[in-house]
Amino acid sequence: MTNIIELAIQEKVYKNKRARLSILNNFNLEVNTGEMIAVVGKSGVGKSTLLNILGLLDRNYNGSYKLFGADANKLSLSQSAKWRNQKIGFVLQESALINSLSIEDNIKLPLLYKSPGDSQRSTDFENIVSTIGIEHILKKKPLECSGGEKSRVVFARAIIMNPQLILCDEPTASLDGENKERIISLLFKMNQEFNTTIITVTHDQEVADRHKRIILLERRM
Amino acid sequence: MKIFKFFITRIFFRKILIVISVLLLFFLSDYIVFTTARSTVSTFQGYNEMKSINQKGNYIANLDPNNSMDLGNIQKEDTQYIYDHLKAHNLKYAIFTDGLIIDLPNNYDMSVSFAYLNEDYYKLNKQFEISQGNELVFDYSLDSDDTEIPVLIGKGLSETYPLGSEIIVNEPALQKQVTLKVRGILKSNIYHSNMYSLNSKQYYNFSIVIPVNEDFLYSSDLGLQLQSLFDIILLQTSEQEIESLGEVLQNKLDLKFNFYTQEDNFEYYKEYYFHSLKIIGVITAILIFILTCLTVWNSLAGIRIMIKEFTINLFVGLSYSKLRKIFYGYYGIVFFINLIILFIITAFSRYGNWTRKDASFSTFGLFGIIGMDWLSLCPVLLFDIMIGVIIVEIMIWRIKKVPISLGVLQ
Repeated sequence: MTNIIELAIQEKVYKNKRARLSILNNFNLEVNTGEMIAVVGKSGVGKSTLLNILGLLDRNYNGSYKLFGADANKLSLSQSAKWRNQKIGFVLQESALINSLSIEDNIKLPLLYKSPGDSQRSTDFENIVSTIGIEHILKKKPLECSGGEKSRVVFARAIIMNPQLILCDEPTASLDGENKERIISLLFKMNQEFNTTIITVTHDQEVADRHKRIILLERRM
Repeated sequence: MKIFKFFITRIFFRKILIVISVLLLFFLSDYIVFTTARSTVSTFQGYNEMKSINQKGNYIANLDPNNSMDLGNIQKEDTQYIYDHLKAHNLKYAIFTDGLIIDLPNNYDMSVSFAYLNEDYYKLNKQFEISQGNELVFDYSLDSDDTEIPVLIGKGLSETYPLGSEIIVNEPALQKQVTLKVRGILKSNIYHSNMYSLNSKQYYNFSIVIPVNEDFLYSSDLGLQLQSLFDIILLQTSEQEIESLGEVLQNKLDLKFNFYTQEDNFEYYKEYYFHSLKIIGVITAILIFILTCLTVWNSLAGIRIMIKEFTINLFVGLSYSKLRKIFYGYYGIVFFINLIILFIITAFSRYGNWTRKDASFSTFGLFGIIGMDWLSLCPVLLFDIMIGVIIVEIMIWRIKKVPISLGVLQ
C-alpha cells in the first residue's frame, strides 16, 4: 500500500478585521491508496476546509501536503486544475449542478477540460449512467429532477474521469433512506472495483460508520 | 476553443439580460468616444485649413449680425463699385463661394454644385488637390463666344466627364451658355470647412470648381458678386484700408461688415471652439467614467449571478488562466459586435447621403465611410482594449477573492 496523501497542517487561519479563527491545528493525515475514510465533527471544526485543501482548492495554510507523491503546494494553478480534472472527483451536494445545462451535459462537464493528449482512464458514459440508473433523465434540466436524482448526477459527474481520489462533501445530506443507500453503495462500488480512495465529510453517523476509517475533527481550545 | 464556445453559448448567452446590458453600456461608451473623436478630428481638419488663411495682414470679412438685411435694394452697380474700389486701391482679395446647383447628367444621378474661387484663394487654400490632370489656370478670357473655361471636377463626375472632355452648360453665375473644359480631377473626398464652424464641412465629389478671374467676376450676376463679398478675404493689407473698405461697403450696400484679423480669429477659435472642445472633453470623460463604473458594476453583478457556474467549472478542471482567456474572448466578442454596430450606423449615415442624392455630403469609400471615420474608430478600439483589460482583471481578482470552495456552492 502506498500513501497517496501525506498532509501535515500546523494551522489554518481564517481572519477578518474583527476576529481570527485558527482550525486544523497540528493536524496530520496519511491516506493509503484504496482507503475509505469518513471525516466527522461538529460544524466549524474545519471539515469542508480539509476537503478544500485535499482537493487543491485551498493552499493558504501553514503546513505541507504531498498528493500522489508530489508537493501539492508547488503545483501551478493550471496543474492543480488539471489534477482536479483528471485525478480528483468531487461528490458535492445535489445543488452543485448548472441549471441551464441538461443532465447529460452536467455529467460530461469534466470531459470538456480533458486535453486530447492526456492519458486518461475516463469511464464509459453509457456504462456510468446505466449503473447509476439515470438514463431516463439525461435530457432533463436539473430543476426538473428530484433531489435523489440530482445527487446521483453529481456522483456520475465525479466519476466520469475515473479519478484516483474521490472527495465527498455531505453526499447524502438531503436524501431519504433509499437514495442515501444508493449513493453509499455507489461509493463502495467505486472503491471495490477501481480501488478508488474515498474521503467523505459527513454529519451522518450512520454513513460514517460504513467507512473503514473514521476521523473525528475537534476544535482544540 | 471548445471550452470558449461552451462558455459563450451555454453560460454567458443563457444570461441574455446581462449580455444585453453589457452590450448596451459598452455601446453607449463607444458611441460617445467615437463621436467625440470624430468631432475632434473634423475640428482639427478645419483648424488646419483655416491656418493657411489666417496669415498676418489678412482680414476676413464677416457680415455684422446686427444688420437689418435688405438685400433686395442692392443692385449690380453697387457690388461692381466695390470690386472697382478694390481694384483702384490695389487691394488683393481672395474669394470663394459655392452652392449654385445645376442639373448635369452623370453616372450617379447627382445634382452638381458649382464652386467659384479666384486665383488668390486657390493659392491660399490648398484644399483642392487634384488626382489627375493639371492645376487650375485663370488666364482665360470671356471675350469670344467659343471661350472654354478650364475647370476642376469632382471624382464622382470623372467617369462621365473624363479629363479633357467638354461640358456645355448654362452657367448660372454668368447666366449664359459656356463650355467648361475638364482640366483636372479632384482627389476623392476633397472637403472645404466652414470658416466659422470648423467641424462642418462639405465634400466636392460632385462639384465643378470654376476659376474666377476678373473678367468672369465682372461678367457674373449680382448673386455671385454679393455672395463673394460676404466672406471675402483681404490679403496683405492694413487696418486703414480695411476701414476705408468697410465705409464703402456700408455706403454702397447699406451693410455693416466686420473684418477680423488672424489674431481675432485665433482668439475666436480659442474662445469658442477650443473652449467648447474642452467642455465636451470634460463632459465626455465624466460620462465615460460613469459608464465605465456602471459597466464594471454590471460585469461584477454578472459574476455574482454566475459564480455557481464558474465554481463548478473550476471544480472539474477549469483554471484561472483559462477563465481569464475566456473573459478576454467574451469581451472581445462584445467589442467586436459594438464596433460592427458603430460601423453600420456610420455607414448608414454616410450611405444615406448617396440614397438621398445629397451631392455635398456623398463620399467615396466602403459604404461612403471616409478616413475620418476609420481614424475615429481607432480611439474606440483603444478605449475598448483598455476597459476590457480593466474589467477582466477586476473580474478575475473578484473571482479569486471568493476562493473556489465547497462553501460557495452551499
